[in-house]
Amino acid sequence: MKKDDERDDSSNPTRLCANARTLVPSYLDGELSEVQAAPLRSHLFACRDCREVAKDEKSLKRWFQAALAETSSLRAPAGFSARVARRAFAGDRGSDEPAVLSRPRAGASRSDLMPLLLALSAAAAVLLLAMALALEARSRPSGTGLRADTYQPPWVRERLRAEALTMHEDRPAEFEPPVRAATEER
Amino acid sequence: MHSSLMQPAAREDSVLVEEVLAGNQLSFQLLIERYQDRIFGLVRHYSKNAVEVEDIVQDTFVKAYRKLATFQHQSSFSTWLFRIAVNTALDHLKKKGRSPVHAVEDPELLTPRGGFQARGPHLLSPEARLERAEIARITHEVLDELPEIFRSVLVLREFEGMAYQDMADLLGISIGTIESRLFRARARFKEALVRLHPEFAID
Repeated sequence: MKKDDERDDSSNPTRLCANARTLVPSYLDGELSEVQAAPLRSHLFACRDCREVAKDEKSLKRWFQAALAETSSLRAPAGFSARVARRAFAGDRGSDEPAVLSRPRAGASRSDLMPLLLALSAAAAVLLLAMALALEARSRPSGTGLRADTYQPPWVRERLRAEALTMHEDRPAEFEPPVRAATEER
Repeated sequence: MHSSLMQPAAREDSVLVEEVLAGNQLSFQLLIERYQDRIFGLVRHYSKNAVEVEDIVQDTFVKAYRKLATFQHQSSFSTWLFRIAVNTALDHLKKKGRSPVHAVEDPELLTPRGGFQARGPHLLSPEARLERAEIARITHEVLDELPEIFRSVLVLREFEGMAYQDMADLLGISIGTIESRLFRARARFKEALVRLHPEFAID
């Protein structure tokens, strides 16, 4: 039995229509060569069902064509191109990230800022040093001599006064009065 | 002999690109002027908000400038720019929380090179019944319902009139995939249109 030649679609209307219908979208999009388009046109002329399929595809396209006509009047606002070019060359990165300094080929602002930044840093360092020295000087003692004043708690001073009034009584050694300190206000 | 009154021929994109890379801001402005209306038109199919559309278009050109050194001339400059525009529009939608639906490959829809399937409802042509503004509104309403991969191929083909090869270059996929996606996209568009507006279906 002769094997069907799969390229002989004329003996298989279903396959012929199936092939034609798969080509209709590309045909309507203008993507077929004349070699491909010519036999399809002939089939569409002869086959009512496939013609209906093509008509359906055309109806769909009309929706887009009408919408396109409506939106084709959109125009960029005046000055748009100049404004955007300025932004781009100024280093704007759009909505992705915050603006950063531009790369060297688009500008040289980074090199202009460096001397100012260095000067500010130096001034800040000098100021901090001056503040540190001032704080250190303030915390130093005001005189050069050192004096260790003898401090007596109040109850000791009271006892000493009491002892002074009874100087002639014998006292145990632990109650020997210490060296008298500077007189306190009574 | 050229007349002194003749206007100089517009410089090709590749020439302007080289001038921009050399630091010529005016050349970049000229490139923007050349494509701004088309990019506005393209982005309009991703957003109805005029302010958002302008933001997206500005971002597109700013990104194009930043990436200009990476343009390899493997595709045309317009295709490269359109790719940035589509990606920028989709990024904006995601940031606004309007994440486009991602389509799962539908096994029930056979590829164009396979058999054929029942084609669903027939569609009424719009012009006789509607004003153009209403048609545009409905068309965009339906496009918003579609998964992102289907919306993009329909926008590029039906509104930008791009050839399959240019679409393949822009989206980084094969022509066969373009055909397949267009086939599915049109079927989905039709289904969504008659679902949202049954008055346009022909039984």
